[in-house]
Amino acid sequence: MIPILGYLALALSFLVAVYGLIAAIWSLLMTSKAWQQSARLALIVVFAMVSLSVLMMLVLLVNHRFDVAYVYQVASNDMPVYLRLSALWGGQSGSLLTWSWFLAGFGALFIIRKKAMPGGLLSWVLLVLLLLVGFFLALNLFMDNPFERFWHFPDGSRVMSVFQPAGAWPLRPTDGRGLNPLLRHPGMILHPPLLYLGFVGYAIPFALAIASLASGRSDQYWLQASRRWSLMAWLFLTLGLVLGMRWAYDVLGWGGYWGWDPVEVAALMPWLSGTALLHMILLQRQQDRYKRWNIILIFLTFGLVIFGAFLTRSGVLSSVHSFARSAIGPVFFVFIALVSIASLALLVYRWQSLHVVGEPAFKLSKEVLILFTNLVLLSILAVCFLGVIYPLVSELLVSTKVTVGPVWYERIIGPLLLVLLLLMGVCPLAGWVHSQWMVLRRWIILCLMLSLLIPLLAIFRQVRSILTLFALWLAAFSVLVAVLPYARSVRNRWKQKAHFFKALLDPLRRNLRLYGGHLVHVGVILISIGIIGIERMQEQTQVTLALGESTTLGGYVFIYEGLESYDSSDGRHITQAVLAVQKDGKPMGALFPARDLYYAWQQTNTRPGLESNIWMDFYAILIDWRPVTKDQATFKIFLNPLVNWLWIGTGVLSLGVFMTVWPRQKGLKVKT
Amino acid sequence: MTLVNKPDSNKVKFLIGVFLFLAAVVVLVISVTQSSAEFYMTVDEVLAAPEEVEGANLRISGAVVGDTIYYDQVTGFLTFMIAHIPDDEALVDAKEGELTDILHQAVNDPAASRIEVYYEGPPPDMLKAEAQAILTGQLQPDGTFLARELLLKCPSKYEEALPDQVEVVSP
Repeated sequence: MIPILGYLALALSFLVAVYGLIAAIWSLLMTSKAWQQSARLALIVVFAMVSLSVLMMLVLLVNHRFDVAYVYQVASNDMPVYLRLSALWGGQSGSLLTWSWFLAGFGALFIIRKKAMPGGLLSWVLLVLLLLVGFFLALNLFMDNPFERFWHFPDGSRVMSVFQPAGAWPLRPTDGRGLNPLLRHPGMILHPPLLYLGFVGYAIPFALAIASLASGRSDQYWLQASRRWSLMAWLFLTLGLVLGMRWAYDVLGWGGYWGWDPVEVAALMPWLSGTALLHMILLQRQQDRYKRWNIILIFLTFGLVIFGAFLTRSGVLSSVHSFARSAIGPVFFVFIALVSIASLALLVYRWQSLHVVGEPAFKLSKEVLILFTNLVLLSILAVCFLGVIYPLVSELLVSTKVTVGPVWYERIIGPLLLVLLLLMGVCPLAGWVHSQWMVLRRWIILCLMLSLLIPLLAIFRQVRSILTLFALWLAAFSVLVAVLPYARSVRNRWKQKAHFFKALLDPLRRNLRLYGGHLVHVGVILISIGIIGIERMQEQTQVTLALGESTTLGGYVFIYEGLESYDSSDGRHITQAVLAVQKDGKPMGALFPARDLYYAWQQTNTRPGLESNIWMDFYAILIDWRPVTKDQATFKIFLNPLVNWLWIGTGVLSLGVFMTVWPRQKGLKVKT
Repeated sequence: MTLVNKPDSNKVKFLIGVFLFLAAVVVLVISVTQSSAEFYMTVDEVLAAPEEVEGANLRISGAVVGDTIYYDQVTGFLTFMIAHIPDDEALVDAKEGELTDILHQAVNDPAASRIEVYYEGPPPDMLKAEAQAILTGQLQPDGTFLARELLLKCPSKYEEALPDQVEVVSP
């Protein structure tokens, strides 16, 4: 009953989407508000129906309904409830269902708040959104249905179908295969859906851009209406990427967080163009230029989102993130091609109407620096794109398949990231005119002096690489420059004899968006400090220790204190060691590196032992041990300096984004 | 409309800056690609002309021969053999069941060519018999392959069409 209900809700949502699409087109042809409202209602109904379908799937997953093929594939009896729920996006068809759900949800949320828009804009927005939702629903409905069940015939043959075929009996496995052990991690709850939210969030600005072009507007309406959505999509994408890093760091046990896997790169690409877009939106709103460029950027961003979704599902590339190859690949490809061609044709058609009078003054200004930032971001994007398609292109050109790995990316993108860091440090300084410069000089000198403390501290901590020291200094300087405007503002209020807390909060109340933007930069720079730490300062050793024996790495002593093996209730055999960490005889904590054997999968899963503080992560992997006597074990131990700033920076960045999307308080004069 | 524009010297400077930046990126990409691009090859192709590919960055793929996996705790080196499987594209096209068969046949075919692999590091969780190993590294003069990177795929971990163990519900 529940699978059928889920299926019917899915089918109904598709039909309503098709109806809404027709209503939207009709409303454009007849310029009818009534049909427009009907299409609007249709999108809300689609969301309700897909939600029902998702709810049914969750019920099936929680209730161990292994007669449903999808549940059989991604769930098993030994998985805890939170993992069974997150198995919703653990397989191909479920992840498509999640896409449809988020897409319809974002669309519904947007149009519930926006009941009307000037001209035919709303109809066009609805048309684009319903087309996108309809496509994903159709994939689920016609190509990869999550509600199919197992059936078998008296002659022993088996089929999968939603409804019971004539003469067939239901087939009910007692247990499912369950998620791959690698996916059995709390990261599974958040990493995929946040990425999906980021991807799908860009559908709103995309739909608005198309609507704006299609209805012949050349104003900033689409930018204003989509501002919050672009920011939130960017935040979700950032969080999704960083959570993926954290997951890899916690579970994959190679001491790293980013492997330049093609799918990782594919998720990074829309982030890069989305970041470029955020900056250019600011410029367009201030200068009323770059109309064409911003349309191109949102097309690029959304195009890359769909391209990434295609890559993971097509089997074109081999990656840990890929789903099994399926027939969906070609359909996706045709869809991307059609959407891209239609969008670009529309842009070409409206090209003249987006003509802009005037050029920026090419002096050292914020505008020029932002343009240059765009150039750097898009260069990184181009390098990523080249890296992803290199194997495919090289095969066509020189008939040998050539591929590029992490080393290639790191060597090219590393220097470019340093340029970005430099731009982040310089950019806030560029807006000031000469007179202010004289006033600010001593502040900047102060920033320079203070920021030198960080590399000095690093030298004291045995860092000797000039490049590392320079990068750390640059990061410290950029952070100080980014908080400088706020610090000055607070100081001014303080001088006006404001109460301490009032002095702290007043600048925020007046200019929350501005300081939010600065805080996002602080977050990004802190993230880069974490990356510099793990990439440039990581130390590692591999050692075999007898019970009670110790080894030293970077001034820290690691003592092997014991090992235990036991069976867990969820089908694992756990072997866990204890490594005590000491410095100068003082205990610094203990590491519990473990290895789990999943009986059902006959697969092991290494779990690193981790102890972290803001300066350093102690990270150990259990490699081998004497099973019976347990008097000897082999470890790989890493010291990952500063890596915690990667996660702290992400928190800071999120806070900054929330500040920029926070509704403006009425009655306050806003300084721009 | 035909106003004579004085060329804006700042604009020229900006464009030169953009050009120089892009030129630097292109030079960087070309030089890094020359030093670190990896050539896809099958085990057969590598063994056909070992002297030609020796020292070059290669990416080879093969089926892991289970009873050859050995990890030396003292040196920290992992060794195992991989058996030849057809090129990657055919494998990508293969259905899951077929992939399992291809890997199984490769390992059990005494005529299939094999390469001994060295890798400095602990055995990854997914290294087991009849997994597909994708290795990046260089062929050594002694005919062994020193892997810098080790990626593993187990066909069994992917979705399987129908279950083996079931409880049959009679009508």
